[in-house]
Order: sequence, then structure tokens, then C-alpha cells
Amino acid sequence: ENREAMLNSRSNRLTEALEEANALFDGVCRAREAALDAQFLVLASNIGKEKANELHSEMSAFDSTAFAEDLLTFMGINRTEETDDSEDDPGGFLPGDAWKRVGEEALKYFKRAPVFHYMLGSFKSEPPVPKQRIERQKKASRGKAEQAMPAQLKKMEESHQEATEKEVERILRILQTHFENDPNTPISFFDFVIDPNSFARTVENMFHVSFLIRDGLARIKLDEDELPVIEPTKPSGAGEEDSRAGARNQVIIRLDQREWK
Amino acid sequence: QVSELVQFLLVKDQKKIPIKRADMLKNVIREYRDAYSEIVNKAGKTLQEVFGLQLVEIDSKRHTYILINNLPCAEGKYLCRDEEKEKMGLLLIILSFIFMKGNSVKDSALWEFLHLLRVYPGRQHQVFGDVRKLVTEEFVRQKYLEITPIPLTDPQEFKYQWGPRAEKEISKKDVLNAVAKIQGKDPTFWSSQYSEAEATR
Repeated sequence: ENREAMLNSRSNRLTEALEEANALFDGVCRAREAALDAQFLVLASNIGKEKANELHSEMSAFDSTAFAEDLLTFMGINRTEETDDSEDDPGGFLPGDAWKRVGEEALKYFKRAPVFHYMLGSFKSEPPVPKQRIERQKKASRGKAEQAMPAQLKKMEESHQEATEKEVERILRILQTHFENDPNTPISFFDFVIDPNSFARTVENMFHVSFLIRDGLARIKLDEDELPVIEPTKPSGAGEEDSRAGARNQVIIRLDQREWK
Repeated sequence: QVSELVQFLLVKDQKKIPIKRADMLKNVIREYRDAYSEIVNKAGKTLQEVFGLQLVEIDSKRHTYILINNLPCAEGKYLCRDEEKEKMGLLLIILSFIFMKGNSVKDSALWEFLHLLRVYPGRQHQVFGDVRKLVTEEFVRQKYLEITPIPLTDPQEFKYQWGPRAEKEISKKDVLNAVAKIQGKDPTFWSSQYSEAEATR
């Protein structure tokens, strides 16, 4: 106890306590008492160290209250006269961006490595236009009011990897849905992926389709006119066929903006 | 191997928790253990030349590393999420307090100071949420702060000091300048802190 009293730089209590201990030690004749004395010495030296520390920082006294006041000012505090509203905000109202202001200043001093993010994750997805084109084609050719159900896109807060997978899944579903209605007509590959309004989106669609091909969920063939067509693979094909399909083919499709137009 | 390691380090650094050599060996280097130091050196070079980042070992006993930014201070807006910005603001204030008070403060002193800024350990903060957790767990895990118990105190008290990441990412001189700027004074106003800041460059 009395720790604070001893720490007080103006008091000599620590010295007095040490002297008292010294005197008492003469009367010690049991090990237990000696142990207590040793413990006391440890405590005393700790306190002594703390006192020395406090001496050091008092050399250039740092007024933390003033610092706090100046910080609040820096944060943009709105000092009001009435201090009676709540005990939460005595003497002022801190704006919402108070800490952002300090943060901006702080960033100038820290040599902090910027946090690494995949760029791909920042795309916001909307249902791609090709899907609508397929619908229109179907309606035109059979006049049925068939609507492919667009996969509901909920808030894309998932990880970037999942976003790609979801896209791929969705495209697969569109392909499969179209096929349910018309099992013998593969879709023209270009009709499927091209977005008449956006070159970037077209490339993205091709990217997603390539995943389907890689995973064996869809297949591209050449039709009579030597144009590529795409169809989903049957889910449970004969076992042997599947294992043979391991032949890896690489196809490079080149498409620049002019061609796309 | 080198580019794999570079990618690994960049991703691991997202949480700002120091990267252990053991993890690097297990996940990336694997069978190439013998070439370990060469791979690490090359990765460090790539990080420096391509990203301007420095790979620094902060614990030579346990072999843990962090990434710091080696580019000169860029003017203008920083590409940084608000949440990160606000945390760095709080951190700067804590580090300043610790330094100006002689490099080591008692937990009670720090929280008393934060009270003045409307930050309370027992209460959910509008911006920071569980502040106590942020300061005593997150900042400590990221090695920005070091908290050690003070022996023979009852109830247990702790002392707060700068952690090894803080030592590498920010200088005492910068901190002193920040304090001086906020208080509208010259850094030499605090002579002993000033000499210490000049000495430890």
C-alpha cells in the first residue's frame, strides 16, 4: 500500500522505509523473516525505479491535458457554452469525421505498406445483356413467353473469389436453362458471350465461360459453318467417356474492339 | 518461388500481423528450404523495386517479418479506407503520449488521457467500437504496441510502450513534429524529447 505516497517525488517515505527495514533486519533470526525482507527489497527497488523514471520525464514536462485540448480542437470540436446537457459531451460536440481528420494527419507519418487488394473484386455485377438476347431469340423463334430466371444478385460483399464463381455458376445456369427448352440447338458461342454495348463485358463473359469449359461443364464445338457453338455437357455422362475427355485443348480467341464492333 | 513468396507476403500483410518464417517455409518455399535465404532476399528485392516496400525482420529470435513502405512521403490524399485512417489516428495519439511521457506509461495513465478525448475502455465507442480490445489486442498483435505487466502490483497493472512495428514505421522525430504541429509550438519546446528524437534517427 502507500505506493503512491512513496512515489511522490517530494516524499522521503521510501528512504524511511528502507532504513526501517535495515534496522529490523538486525533482529532477524528465522529464514521466513529473511524471505520477507528480500521481498520488501524487490518492492522497494521497483518503486525506486519508478521514481527515477518520473524524474526523467519531468525534465521537459509534458502537459497531457493541454495536448488533449489541442487534439480536440484539431479534430474540429464545436465548443458550446452550456455544459449541462449530458455527462458524455462536456464542453463541446465532436463532429463525425473527428477521427478521420487525425487519421489523415497520422498517415503522413507512418511508413505503412498499403493493404493489398485484388482489383477484380471491385466489379459490380449486373445481369449481362447476352442473357436478354437469348430470351429475345427464343421469343422470336417460338413466340413463347419463356423467361429465364435471372439469378438474384444479392449484395456482393463476399470475397472476390466467390464473386467469380457465382458469375460462372450463373452463366452455366443460363446456358442450361436455354438448353432445357431446346435440347438440340447449341447456341452460337458469339451470340452467347457478346454484349453489344460493352466490350469489357464481352471479355468478362468469355472469361467466365472459359471456366465452364475448363471444368468440363460446357463444351465448344464447331458447327457446319465452322463457327463455334457452346452447349452444356450432360451431368452424368458414361464413366469412360468422362475420363477420356481429359484431353487438354488450348484455344486462343483473339477479339479486339474493331472486330467486336 | 520468388513471385509466389512475394504474393504470399502481400496477402499476409493485409491484417498487419507479422509474418512468421515458419509460415513462409510451410506454404511457399516447402521443398526449396536450402535456398530459403536466397529466395527471401530476392523477394525482398522485388518488393522494393516493384512496390517500394521493405521486408523487415522485427524479431531475429523468432524470425518474424513485416512490410513497411519505403517510398518517400507522398503528397496528397491517401488511398485508405476510413476505418484504417481512424485507427491510425488513434494509434498516433497513443504513441505520441507514450513518447512524450518518457517512452513508457502505466495503463491507468493512458486511459485517463484517452478519457479526455471521449474514449472510454468500458464503453462502445461510436467510431472504434470496443476500444479496449482494439488497443490491447489488435495493436499489440500487429506489434504497434507492447504491453507488459508490472511485477508485484496488486491489482495487476501494465505498462505500455512502442512495439517493434511502431519503431520501424514511424520515428520519434515525426511523432514530436506531429505533437508540435497540433499544439502550435516548436518541437524544441520539449527539450529532452527533442534531443532524444534527434539522437534516435
